Formats: sequence, structure tokens, C-alpha cells
Amino acid sequence: MTTIFFATDVHGSEICWKKFINAGKFYNADILVLGGDMTGKALVPFIKDAQGKYKVNFLEEEMLLDEEGKLTMEKNISDRGYYPINVTDDEYDELNADSEKVEQLFVERVLLMAERWVKFADEKLAGTGIKCFVCPGNDDMFELDDVLASSKTITMSEGQILDLDGYYEMLSSGWSNPTPWDTHRECSEEELAAKIEAMASKISDIDRCVFNLHAPPFGSGLDEAPELDENLRPKYAGRSLIPVGSTAVRDAIMKYQPPLALTGHIHEGRGIKRMKKTFVVNPGSSYEQSTLLGAIIEMDKKGVKKYVLTSG
Amino acid sequence: MAQPGMFVRKASGLVRSWSVFDGFVYAFFSINLVTLGFFIFSFAPYIPEANLLTAIVISGIFIIFEVFVYALLVAVMPRAGGDYVWQSRILGGGIGFVLSVTGWAWILWHWVPLYGNMLAYNVFTPILGILSGWTGNTGLYNAASWFVTTNGFFVSSLVVIVLAFIYVSLGMSWYARIQKFCFYLGMAGMATMIIMMLASSRADFIAGFNQYATEFFAAGGGDVYQQILAASAEGGYAAAPINRIAIGASLALIPMVVFFNLWPNWGATLYGEVRGASDFKRNFWSMAAGLIATTILALIVLGLIARVIGWDFYNAANFTFYEGTSPFGVFPYPALLVSFLTDSPLLQMWLLISMSAWFFGWCGTVFLSSTRVIFAAAFDRILPEWMARVSTKYRSPVNALLVMAVGGVIVSAGMHYTENLETYALNSTVVIAVTYFGTTIAGAILPYKDPDLYNTSPIARLKIFGLPLITVTGAIFGIFLLFLFYMWTTDAVYGINEPVSYIYMAVLYGISIAIYYGSKMYRRKQGINLDEIHKSIPVE
Repeated sequence: MTTIFFATDVHGSEICWKKFINAGKFYNADILVLGGDMTGKALVPFIKDAQGKYKVNFLEEEMLLDEEGKLTMEKNISDRGYYPINVTDDEYDELNADSEKVEQLFVERVLLMAERWVKFADEKLAGTGIKCFVCPGNDDMFELDDVLASSKTITMSEGQILDLDGYYEMLSSGWSNPTPWDTHRECSEEELAAKIEAMASKISDIDRCVFNLHAPPFGSGLDEAPELDENLRPKYAGRSLIPVGSTAVRDAIMKYQPPLALTGHIHEGRGIKRMKKTFVVNPGSSYEQSTLLGAIIEMDKKGVKKYVLTSG
Repeated sequence: MAQPGMFVRKASGLVRSWSVFDGFVYAFFSINLVTLGFFIFSFAPYIPEANLLTAIVISGIFIIFEVFVYALLVAVMPRAGGDYVWQSRILGGGIGFVLSVTGWAWILWHWVPLYGNMLAYNVFTPILGILSGWTGNTGLYNAASWFVTTNGFFVSSLVVIVLAFIYVSLGMSWYARIQKFCFYLGMAGMATMIIMMLASSRADFIAGFNQYATEFFAAGGGDVYQQILAASAEGGYAAAPINRIAIGASLALIPMVVFFNLWPNWGATLYGEVRGASDFKRNFWSMAAGLIATTILALIVLGLIARVIGWDFYNAANFTFYEGTSPFGVFPYPALLVSFLTDSPLLQMWLLISMSAWFFGWCGTVFLSSTRVIFAAAFDRILPEWMARVSTKYRSPVNALLVMAVGGVIVSAGMHYTENLETYALNSTVVIAVTYFGTTIAGAILPYKDPDLYNTSPIARLKIFGLPLITVTGAIFGIFLLFLFYMWTTDAVYGINEPVSYIYMAVLYGISIAIYYGSKMYRRKQGINLDEIHKSIPVE
């Protein structure tokens, strides 16, 4: 019997990452799998004034903080998945005028974060026997892969077929079908199908394989997201939900019928779905609330024996 | 010095703010003046000293605090799924399940026969009755009369179940579109009704009513208008004047009125990234605007009813309808009464059909939220997994719908065939109010129970007198709910404080408690500890 703890889409939340690493002990899991989208979405500048106070705007709230207040606020910002940065007035203006510099700064911050996260994982997981697999998702820049690969305890699993527990193997891809945001790892359905096929065709025994695919299967109910208009505004106040998952992922699952498919990407799509022989799960994400949504899945040689979705 | 703002990169889920108007439409339909409002207003004569308008305004003021609590909670925990997740996370999984599944699923079985009544009262009987009058088709008249019999109500309830089944199966994208279409159609109908009343006098109405009540609805002839007033007086009821504010007496009417206006938060959701306090404001205003607009509309319509139809007559018609002493044998649905102001069959039909959009744009709500709660509880392994199964072919949550439909049929049959349905109408409100009370407590204590979550949320700096806004507004709304509970349980007029009603509600809660503890034991045998589902994972 193998117990997998699966979570996804922590989007830069320091607290969610720490919870993920600690989830192995907490839930008695043998294997940790993080499904992608590790990186945050925003930089939050702290601008120091002449009196030594820091001006910051977080969640549309203007604040003037002293050193102590700044430290607390930096933690709050990191826990929420954003990156605090210290800049001068001039540097702020410079960034405002140059999107390339902002992008560069994002990469720097993401890599710093990843190094810190890897160090935390190595400290916590070393000697525990808990395996940890991380596969970057569509929102994650490619520079992240090398940092993850440098870890002693984390296995960077993108594009690979890896042994899980001596019985099951796992193929992984963090690529998604096209999104309205033109993110780092998205491609056409045809290309995604080819990426999955390149791995799945090498599996010798599909009954002993787990698919770890970031995008959920189209029309599974795990892929329901608010319908957007051309300005990326949710239609009908966000009440119109439409399937936005991948047809390539759906077709691969239906073709190969692995016992388990781990998916994410759509934070609202928390749930499970049985697609013929395959148990498909999307634990969803509430990273901005510092809550780690996850799934504990116990597998025996016949497949998924039991599962529970968690909110920890 | 620069005003610092965040730098945001291109990343999934970074959507722009949705339209407040779209949110308003949903809230506006949830506190539905034409269905819920006209239905519960018809019981106002049972608290004769109260002023309906005063009760609507005072309850509306307090329900604003409910809007605060829900909009604030949504800003802290967006996408969370509402009461079930909020309560489970803050108060514990057991309380969250029992209060939410009872208040958002099982009690909706009880709403099905009420929706059925409204469908018969507002749609089937008026439209078939008018059609029969113009065509002379007695079959249509018999059908109109049949829909307000026990069998007719039961069949109307079945129609509600079928409609809700279709709406949920079509999915939210279609339902949102249907609802918006119905909003515009319904508002056109409402505008027609208002214009017709503005353009008419009391004498016009009396003449029209006497004519059509007799010719189309077999009221017996003569001055039916006066006969109804006389029957009411004979029954010991005379309406208090509409201009008597009567604040003290009207408080007793509030526990009835909330059947109509307690629900602006019905679809409280927020998707995408929360940018900050503006998301709270956006959510708040969409719900608050729904509540305020409906309150104003109710005052206008009731004022016009008083002017044209007559306040004493409108209330007398309702009173005698329930007492069974009215010569006009159908529900005094205001749109039907107003349709008697014209001799044009086309205008009459337009008014009744367009006003029926208020029902058809709203009735999907009876199962939509229920299926969501059932799904969430099934994924948490409290309810069996089969309940959350979705048909691959139709993408429809067939089993959750069946749970709701079967329960709805059983409760509808029970309510229509064995008891006087109206007596227990307010049970539907009490159970949901208990759920809201749980969420209100959860919201009020959130800053103290989970300071990390609260302090990193966009509402952390919203304070009154140094206290968190969510705590203050939660306390005010909580006191309002306690007032309602006190009134419901101490005054017989609401139909709550009698053994059958208590037993009925106890059974619903009993089902939930039994399921929770039963599945807890069952899952423990499977090696799943349900207590761990919502436990926070240590960070360091």
C-alpha cells in the first residue's frame, strides 16, 4: 500500500509550500506530489521614505510602516503568494516604465524563492524516506527547473516517467492547453497530446502508471472556470462556469485508462471524477488563504483503494 | 513620492472585476418580489395591526448587515463554496456539515412545494383562467381551477422539479443566460404593471375586477369587490391603514417578511484573484443593490396597489382567500388583479406572461445551491461518492439532482396531501436562518479564531470603533437572527412553535447528524479520519 499526498497550484505561497513539505508526516504519506504552478503572480514594492518609513500598497491598502511593521507585512505578502521587493522611488519609476525589467525581477524573485523552498524541503525531508515529486506548471518559468533539479530530496518530474514506489510509475507534464494569459508552458492541444503520447507510449504496464498532468480533462467537471469576456472579465458576475480543460488530457486518459490521474490548474475545479477505469482528482487551490488543499490517495496493486480531499 | 502599486505578471486566473450589475441581477432575483414577496405578503392580514411596508423597510435595514457578513467572508475566502466551507473551517467539520447540508439541501425539499404553489398561483391559474375567458374554452377554465387543488399543487411541484432538473443539467452558463433574459422580460412586465396602475383609478379597478372575476373566474356576479370586503369584515379582519407606520406592531411581521428578503446573499461568490477591498465593495454592492432596489420596488408596488386596488381590498382578498370565504376563488396575485384594468386580451396575456419570467428566472435556485453543497460534502467523504457523480454524456450531476428530486417529491406529497402547506411555510426560512446564524458566528469570530487568515485578507483594516467590521456587523445581524428565532418560537402565528413543525425540523437535522456520525464511523473503519480533513498542517 502506498499513500500519496497530492497538492497543486501553491502560486508562491510560502506557507502553503511549507505545509506541503510537512504534509508527508502529518498525513503519513509515503509520496508527495506537487502538481505545478509554484510561482507567485505579483511583486509588492516597499518604498523607503526620508524618515525611514516604508510605503507599501497591499490589497489596495496604502500603508506607511516602520521596520517592525515591514517585517510583518513582508511575511503576510509572502504567505499570500506575492513577492515583497525593496525599491527606491527612482527604481520604482524605472520598473513602472520597463516591463522587461519587471519580468527580470520576477525571475530573480522566483529563483530566490525556489532556492529557499528547496533548502526547506531538503532540511525537512532528508532521512524521512518520503519521496517528493514536483512538476512545474504552465505559470512557472523554465528557469525554475534547474533549481528544483538541484535539490537532494525533490525530484523534478517534468517530461519524465519516474518510479513512484517500486510498483507504480508516474509520467508528468505541467504543460497546459492555451489560456487567455499566454503563460510559460502552454501549447496547442495537438502539441500537448504529442507530449503526453511521447511518455505514455513508453509505459509498459498502464495499470501500474499514474498520470500527473497539470491541466484537467476537458468536460470532467474538474475544469469548470468562470466564463470570461474578451476583456478577461467574468461574465454574469462569475456565475457562468464553462469547461476549460484539455481535450488532449481527456483523450489520453480515455485511451490509456491509467488507475490514477493527478490534475490541477483550475482552482475552482476541486473534486474527483471517475473516467472509465481512471480515478481523476483535482484538489483545487486556496493558496491566497494560506490553506493547502490536497488529496490523500492510498493505492494498492489494484489501483486507488481510498482517497480523501483535505483542507489543511 | 510614488504611490506604489503591485507589479503583476501574466499568470492564470488574473481576471478583471466582474460587472456589479450582473451580481445585482442575481441578488435581485433571489429576493424575488413577485414570487416570494407576493406570496408572503398575502399572510400579512394575520398580523392585522402591523404595517407591511414598515416591516419590509426595517427588515431590509437589518439584512444589510447580513450582506456585510457575506461580502466580507467572500473577500477573505473566495471560491470557497460558501457556508459549508466557511463553517467547516472556522467552527469545525461537524457543525459545518449539519448546518449547511440541512440549510442548503434538505430544507430545499420543503421549498419545492412552496415553489409549486407559487407556480400555480402566479403562472398556471392566471394564464389559463384569462385564456379560458377569452376563448370560452371550459377545458382551460377547468385546468386553471384544477391547478389550485391539491392534485394541481402537487403537479405544479413536479413541474418545478423538472424545471430545476433541466436548469441544473444545462449548467450555470445556460442558467445565467436564461436568468438574464428573464430579468429583462420580468422587468418589462413589472414596468407594464406599474404603468397600468399609474394610468388607472380605483373605480377602473372595481369595474374591471367585478367584470373579469365574474366572467373569467366564476366569482358569482354582482359587486364581488364589496362582497370580499364584507366577507373579510365578517371574518373579523380589517386592514390597518397603509399610512400608519406602526413600528412596534410591525416588528411582529418581520419574521414573515424575511421569507422574501433574507436571501440577497444566495449566490455570494467571487472568482479570480482578490485584488483588495474593492472586491469586497463590489460584492457588497451587488447584493446590497439587489436588496435596496427590491425594497424600493416593493414599496412602490404596494403603494400603487393601495391607490388603485385598495389597501383594504388587497388585504381582505388575501385574508378571505386563506379563510375560504372569498367569492373570488383564486389567489389574489397582484399581476392578475392589475390585468383586470384592461380589456385588451393581448395586454392581459403580455402582462401575465412577462411577469411569469420572475418565476422562471428564479426557480432554478431551488436545486443549484443544493447540488453544490452535496458535491462538497461528498468530496469530503461525508456523503457517499455516488452523490457527486456527474453524467459524462450530459455533464449533469444526476445523482445529486435525484436526491433533491426524490426528497422534493416526498415532501411535496406530504405537504400537499396531509397538511395545510401554508401553516409550515416558514419552516423553510427558519432552517436556512439557522445556517446563516452559523455563518454569522463564524464571520464574527474569524479575526480571533484564525488571525493569520484574517490579517492577510483584504478586510483586515476595515474596522468600526477599533473592532473588526466583520465582528461588528456579524454581531448586529446575529442579534437580528436571535430576534427572529425568539419570535418564531414564541408566537403561534408563524406556524413554527407547534409539535409537528418541531418534529419536522428535528428530523431534518437528525438526518444530517446521523449521516455525519455514521460516515465518521464508517470512514474510520476504512482508515479515514474525517476530523483531519480540515485540520491545519503545521508550518514549521
